[in-house]
Amino acid sequence: MNLPLVCAGLERQLGENESRVRVLRGVSLEIPAGSVHAIVGPSGCGKSTLLYLLGLLDEPDGGQVWIGGRETSGLTDRELTDRRNELIGFVFQFHFLMHEFTAEENVMIPMRRQGRLGPGAMRARAGALLETVGLADKRARLSRHLSGGEQQRVAIARALANDPLIVLADEPTGNLDIANSERVFGLLTELVKREKKALVLATHNPLIAQASDWVHEMQDGAFTRTYSNLK
Amino acid sequence: MSPPLYIALRFIRHRQRSILISLVGITLGVAFFICTQAQTQGFEQFYIRTVLGASGAVLVQDRFQTRYSGMLEHGTNGVVSVSGQKPRKYYDGVSDPDSVMRTIREFSSVIACSPVLEDNASIKSDFRDEVCRVLGIDLTAQLLATDLRAQMTDGDLSVFRNAPTGVLLGSILANKMGAKVGDLVSLMAAGGETRSFRVCGIVQTGDNLIDERRAYIHLREAQSLLGKPAAVSYIIVKMRDPGRAPQLAARLEELLQHRARSWQERARGNLQIFRAIRVSAAITVSAIILLAGFGIFNVLTLMIIDKVREIAILRSMGYQRGDISAIFLWQGMLVAAAGSVLGCGLGAFLTYTVSRVPMHIRGFFAADHFLVYWSGAHYFSAVVIAFTAVLVASYFPSRRAARLVPVSILRGAGQ
Repeated sequence: MNLPLVCAGLERQLGENESRVRVLRGVSLEIPAGSVHAIVGPSGCGKSTLLYLLGLLDEPDGGQVWIGGRETSGLTDRELTDRRNELIGFVFQFHFLMHEFTAEENVMIPMRRQGRLGPGAMRARAGALLETVGLADKRARLSRHLSGGEQQRVAIARALANDPLIVLADEPTGNLDIANSERVFGLLTELVKREKKALVLATHNPLIAQASDWVHEMQDGAFTRTYSNLK
Repeated sequence: MSPPLYIALRFIRHRQRSILISLVGITLGVAFFICTQAQTQGFEQFYIRTVLGASGAVLVQDRFQTRYSGMLEHGTNGVVSVSGQKPRKYYDGVSDPDSVMRTIREFSSVIACSPVLEDNASIKSDFRDEVCRVLGIDLTAQLLATDLRAQMTDGDLSVFRNAPTGVLLGSILANKMGAKVGDLVSLMAAGGETRSFRVCGIVQTGDNLIDERRAYIHLREAQSLLGKPAAVSYIIVKMRDPGRAPQLAARLEELLQHRARSWQERARGNLQIFRAIRVSAAITVSAIILLAGFGIFNVLTLMIIDKVREIAILRSMGYQRGDISAIFLWQGMLVAAAGSVLGCGLGAFLTYTVSRVPMHIRGFFAADHFLVYWSGAHYFSAVVIAFTAVLVASYFPSRRAARLVPVSILRGAGQ
């Protein structure tokens, strides 16, 4: 069976000359569909770098990434970008919504690029996703007029817009209060499990780590311990 | 609607104030370009019409004989070289005008031709003496080949036709002589013969150099007065397409062995002045468009600095480098398109307004209001300049946006 996301022996160095640092040291992961994986560790241990490599936003110095059973090394920028559009959804700490657009229009932006749905179908899907994250009544509101928690929920809906195989979340609750953190994480896990997607998230929040199916502890660019919370 | 265009439209809507300044710049640049070109070319076209109306598209003048012997030159060591130049010997005027005109009329591009005998003479009225150029014309042929009928400002051509000793005077010459229709003036040829002529009309071509010197009399009378019973000085040729005058002139020269000069050759100096003025005006006004383009460059550059996170997130969502570039190029092109449409409208309005401005011009030529020339080429050129300036101004920021590496931005975005 093809796993949605697999990586093996990922290596990544950052910086130039003497300040060059080995950020990832042979990281390997296998992420099955419908599972939630938390990567925890101190700041600078390589969590975000790993997510960028898994999300095809960066290229590793060594190792491979397979998405949907297909190897991604050697692909052109255009092909990698197409893979991101089709297969990957991102949620970032600072939601990065586009302030000139409404909540609904923000969710439609990835769909417009994909070009599979007509305007009516895109609007209907965006509406359904916003309803799922509890923002149906705020779909026509400009994103800058939403609260931080609401903006992050719009970002989750946007990440799911193209029905991706994988959702990658980098500190998705890092900028939210406890109540909103629980709500956003709950939404993410519920959607991922219901839709049989794979969720990999980087977090500092121990509560979120405990609520994840699998926890990968990371230090100095390598996993030091991996354990399951599944009973 | 393509996703980049959709996003570009929204960015523009939320940057109205800064975009508006660039839009005004493009609009004014396009409008001024159109208006100045219409004016400069208006005067140029008026001058060309005057030249064609007064002297036709081609003048067939002196007969020449090519001296072929001059082509062969003995060089050193007995080598014979052939020179490209063909020396000519010229003979004044056209000695057999009927035969020459028969040949000219065979060209389908020729509408009419008219023989003219021209020479210096003295003109005398009750007030003063002046030197003038006497033109002996065949009135019927002259009316077909030139705009003489339209150039009449006073008097009656039918009176002139029936008056063997009638004369038509250039408007400035008549003014200087104090001569009016019905007055008598005397013309004295270089040979000394003097005859009286009655003024039958006043002619104004608009070219002051012509209007201050010309006196038209009948060809037979001129031949008699000037002592040239059979010859004419030149033949005026009117063409359907005066733009092809150089080609016809070259062909006629070859065929008739008479010097043939196109209006472009005769008016070359003045046409070059007009062209220089037109190009100068175009360059000056284009600077406004270039400045507006620079404004767009600034607006887009600042926008890209402001939007790096959005660019990174768009790239992470699957927008290609070309899409990012297109978002910013579209903004420039939309400003150029809106500026061009508004500028063309404003340019047409300004051109019309200027054409109604009364202005008494007397000097190089005569006109009573600003002269404008309506041409689609002015609008096309203005739009091309606007789009080129904006495209160049938008290209560099858009390329910069497309080259942004999303992961570098995301790493530096407080992660």
